[in-house]
Amino acid sequence: MKINSINDSKNGADKMFPENKISIDEIQSGIEKALKLSEKLGAAEAEIVFSIGESTSIQFKKDIIETAKQSTSAGYGVRAAVNGAVGFAGTNLMSDLENTVRTAVASAKVMEADPFFRSFPEKSAGYKEVGGLFDDKIVEMSLEECIECATDMISGVKSIKNMIPTSGGFSRSVSYFMIMNTNGLSAQRKGTAVSGFADVTTESGEVSTAYDYDVSRKKDVDFTGVGRNAADLAKKSLKGITCGAEKMPVIFHPFSFADILENTLAPSVDADNIQKERSGLVGRLGDEIANSELSIIDDGTLAGGISSGAFDDEGTPTQRTSVIENGVLKSYLYDSYTAGKDGVRSTGNGYRYSYSSVPSVDFSNFIIKFPQSDVIAETKKGIYINTVIGAHTANEISGDFSVEGRNAFLIENGEISKPIKSVMISGNIFEMLKKIDGAGKDVRSVGGIITPSIRISEMSVIGE
Amino acid sequence: MDQIQYYDANQIEGRSMTIVLDNGKLETISKNSSKGAGIRALCRGSWGYTSIDGETDLKVGIGNASELAASMNRSTPKEKVILGAVPKRKVGSMPKIKINPNDINIEDKVELLREIEKYAKAEGIKSTRVSYSEAVLTTRFMNSEGDEREYNTVRSGFAISAVAADGSNYQAGRESRFNISGYEIFEKEDPYELAKQAAETAKSLLAAKTPKGGALPVILDPELAGVFTHEAVGHASEADLVLQNDSVLLGKLGKQIASPQITVIDDPTLHEYGYYPFDAEGVPSEKTILIKDGILNSYMHSRETAGAFEGVSGNSRAQSYAMPVVRMSNTYIDKGDAAFEEMLEDIKDGIYLIGSRGGQVNTGEGVFQFNAKKGYMIKNGEITDLVRDVSLSGQTLDILNQIKMVGKDLKLHAGHCGKAGQTVPVTDGAPHISISKATVGGA
Repeated sequence: MKINSINDSKNGADKMFPENKISIDEIQSGIEKALKLSEKLGAAEAEIVFSIGESTSIQFKKDIIETAKQSTSAGYGVRAAVNGAVGFAGTNLMSDLENTVRTAVASAKVMEADPFFRSFPEKSAGYKEVGGLFDDKIVEMSLEECIECATDMISGVKSIKNMIPTSGGFSRSVSYFMIMNTNGLSAQRKGTAVSGFADVTTESGEVSTAYDYDVSRKKDVDFTGVGRNAADLAKKSLKGITCGAEKMPVIFHPFSFADILENTLAPSVDADNIQKERSGLVGRLGDEIANSELSIIDDGTLAGGISSGAFDDEGTPTQRTSVIENGVLKSYLYDSYTAGKDGVRSTGNGYRYSYSSVPSVDFSNFIIKFPQSDVIAETKKGIYINTVIGAHTANEISGDFSVEGRNAFLIENGEISKPIKSVMISGNIFEMLKKIDGAGKDVRSVGGIITPSIRISEMSVIGE
Repeated sequence: MDQIQYYDANQIEGRSMTIVLDNGKLETISKNSSKGAGIRALCRGSWGYTSIDGETDLKVGIGNASELAASMNRSTPKEKVILGAVPKRKVGSMPKIKINPNDINIEDKVELLREIEKYAKAEGIKSTRVSYSEAVLTTRFMNSEGDEREYNTVRSGFAISAVAADGSNYQAGRESRFNISGYEIFEKEDPYELAKQAAETAKSLLAAKTPKGGALPVILDPELAGVFTHEAVGHASEADLVLQNDSVLLGKLGKQIASPQITVIDDPTLHEYGYYPFDAEGVPSEKTILIKDGILNSYMHSRETAGAFEGVSGNSRAQSYAMPVVRMSNTYIDKGDAAFEEMLEDIKDGIYLIGSRGGQVNTGEGVFQFNAKKGYMIKNGEITDLVRDVSLSGQTLDILNQIKMVGKDLKLHAGHCGKAGQTVPVTDGAPHISISKATVGGA
């Protein structure tokens, strides 16, 4: 293991990545120099991010641990603005920052003036601390401990008879992010995460598959449970029946509900899509678009949240934004550019895939709230869908989708009864939001979407 | 020290650029340069892998990967991995690049995109987006067996999308072309025509109906049939998935798994988007016949899976310097002899599905789901009403056996394939094919 224990010093990163001989002071002064250069080259404003991440992952195939991976990723991303036009350049060569600045400025000069560009974020008065994002225990994990987490998942799977993993793995990551711009903004943050994923199948006889995963900023994941849950679900899905084509209540497990939401509602509240009129929610602020008991909050300040941080990838402080409140559409999500264009404040939703990509609007932690109850017990007849495949093929503008429900079950007289082999569900997210009429007590965090199981009063279901 | 029986390294150096024009506004010019290495070491049955961004000291990298492999072997010892031998092959011809994208200045590229966008901005079109990307890569391979190789590639491509709206009804049309090509991609393809097509599709879909779902006779166009080939057949033929019990094609080698008219090929030597001269294990590329006349002929292999199956390697690929995995290249159903008109007549009543908005497959159970861009109802052997939001789903083996006719109009389409968190350029393709019965989803 390359990462040794750290004492949380001022910035931390020096000691987080000792092998890379990273000196934060040196990087900071390099960035300061490069920002000055950008102004000399004719940029009105510039912004430079530096990020470094180190991860260890252990992968298994079947019940055999096969590979240990250790990856380091580090680089710079530069944005330069000339007359409101913003050029971008990225590099992972530490010695190449000044050239990268030249490239970004040159690109900006090619672009036409953009009157809607206001500025990169101003220096913040101070960021509110968000707790639970960094766990020393994750930094300190030895290779043996990482392997143990993977082994735990495998034994979890094998604790259920006739079940075996197909593939899966454990991963731990430590990351550090720094942003500075010519408006005097300068901020750093760091984070940790562990995750486990298990894909399982039957060892012999009828094939039945399922998966489960979990991710946390703290070292508190029950890896045995991840394996066991996946295996248990695959086992319960054996001997599936077929169902006909009909309309009936559907309850979505947090996995399937989050998958559909991410591909339909999330892009619809992105201010960039609104401004480009590529959203079914253009001009709908203040309208009742969902059941009056439904509220959705985007919360970048959530303690321990997968997508939480004191500031977004542009340096804007994160916040709690009420997107839907009691069924009424309250706000879109903004980064600094789209906010400037609408004359509002950024909601702190400017995110990047990595240092080498331009920021764009994305949700942080999407929290779904609806009065919770024993929703299955209250359902006489319906279908319970654990996961779906094909959600990313949804029409994100109209909100129409057609997906294949996996590990689906019939609900009869308030109980999960027989598994259903295969079922297609089609619908429209905006109609669905109005038809939400129940939520379970089983809140889960699924890739930044935090939701219970959700019941829709009626949907089109087609069996095979 | 436990013995390291093998190590290899892929060093990649590259430069890429993306230009995005959105509703007439030049939204993004993004340039990236990167360098790095991915290094693997094998100690009995354990792989250690390390990847480093930026300048790399290979010696240190090999040392780190070896240490990972050795300590893995100590804590979880397992059976020794036998790597398949490197087949004795020559590296085939390299694609010729006519116009280096570097030689075209950025203003000209932007100007061309503006021209293209004009054709997409037809009457009734609410918004448009045109993007262009280019990537120049140098790949250097070396391993502990003394093999050393290097090659350069240039890839470029463009995508056009148009959105039409009528009240709350929004429909999109999208066309894209990518290739192992320089700036001459704009000569090989007709971007203006494609822009017009994208606009046309978006507009026509506004008035299209959603069909009633159910089991129907179906004709797939080459693009959708290609996606089926790649997703449902191709992935299930990747030997790593077969080995981990995650493929419906496990134990099916030499068996009739499809209609005898079906031959499926993966060919990385083709000068198409999925091209490579040698794979991420330094193995010169070669065509693999996956299904021959309906009989499963071969899986696709890395050296490790080739060793396990007595197969032939050459399909190990990686995104940049990530850990190599078994991947497809250019994968297609070979052409048959049916004319499209014959298929229509033969089918009589059913649905004609066109293009793909993507899909997903469960290779283990052999279940898939794809969404078509659009479709037409077929009545009495004739194409009638346009339909939208149609999807196709079913069991891979069922569909392969239900294929009735295979057309003679083979076409390849470039795209990007994701597996194990890595994205690599591929093409997939097929002629028109007809299927006697498949589940079509609608409203």
